[in-house]
Amino acid sequence: MNRRVLGIISVVAIALLVVVGVIYVKLHPSAQLQNASVAPADGSIEIGSRAPQFTIPTTQGPFDLNAETKPVFLEIFATWCPHCQRETVILNALYATYGTRVAFIAIPGSETGMDGTSAESPFDVLNFVMAFKVKYPIGEYDPNLTIAKLWLKGGYPTIAVIGENKIVSYINSGEIPQKELAAQLDRALK
Amino acid sequence: MPFRELLVTIARIALGALLVVTGSLKIGHANELAAAIAGFRLLHPDIIEPLALILPFGEVLLGAYLMLGLFTRVAAFVATGAFVLYGAAIASAVLRHIPANCGCFGPNDQAVADWPHVAFDLVLAVIALAIALGAPGILALDRRLNRS
Repeated sequence: MNRRVLGIISVVAIALLVVVGVIYVKLHPSAQLQNASVAPADGSIEIGSRAPQFTIPTTQGPFDLNAETKPVFLEIFATWCPHCQRETVILNALYATYGTRVAFIAIPGSETGMDGTSAESPFDVLNFVMAFKVKYPIGEYDPNLTIAKLWLKGGYPTIAVIGENKIVSYINSGEIPQKELAAQLDRALK
Repeated sequence: MPFRELLVTIARIALGALLVVTGSLKIGHANELAAAIAGFRLLHPDIIEPLALILPFGEVLLGAYLMLGLFTRVAAFVATGAFVLYGAAIASAVLRHIPANCGCFGPNDQAVADWPHVAFDLVLAVIALAIALGAPGILALDRRLNRS
């Protein structure tokens, strides 16, 4: 086989790869892939800003930010998001260590349900709690995502720490290591 | 065997292997890759969807060409362009203060886009450019094809 033939085969293979990829997406639209391809909302909250007041019913009673005297650990998650699902292990561990000194609250922040295709519902949130043995308080699902849209930063999960003075001391997204989150909570407790 | 040829060969195989590994880690994880790309807020979702499916195979193919030393110069120039693009995308996220996940090594790579990642991509781009300029090195199919 000479160089010319190999060159033609290579160009055809690459062109085929692109064409097949594009056609596959058109013929087999995946709601999960479509959701994942959309950049999540980018909220206005910044480190150093004052946390806007919110109240929300949770799996462990009502939560009122203004009435909270402890630092707050806030997570905005999506029930379908694999990163959020894996992060539950870390959040459970942090809750076990800091749960008495820090107020934990995780709020569902996506319109898409746990299967990645259907619309999010309170049942998805309940399924998430049971499937991943979530120990910390989970907020009620709000279809308008009012709180989530304010806090989402870059993607799911978004995690923030709010000091006793209601100033945001930390906000980040993704699968954040336990060590980093623990350091932020220690800082908020000083 | 000239030392320069040996260096080009080692760099070619190492860079090729890196691309094969990073591409392989992304295959079958289109959703996670799409989310990582979307996080950079640079491309339209209609482009991200097919890109998330195609890119991993493209990386594996490019890596295979480099490892085999087949069309080395073209493959190395394409790799240079790819690494410059990756670096530029990460730099833009850092400059815009977007906490995008790099996603460089598949779904389990949760490293946040930062300046060290930009530097890493630029170093890889320089290596790829050096391979292109010194191509194909030894143990390359290009040599065999040129002889025949």
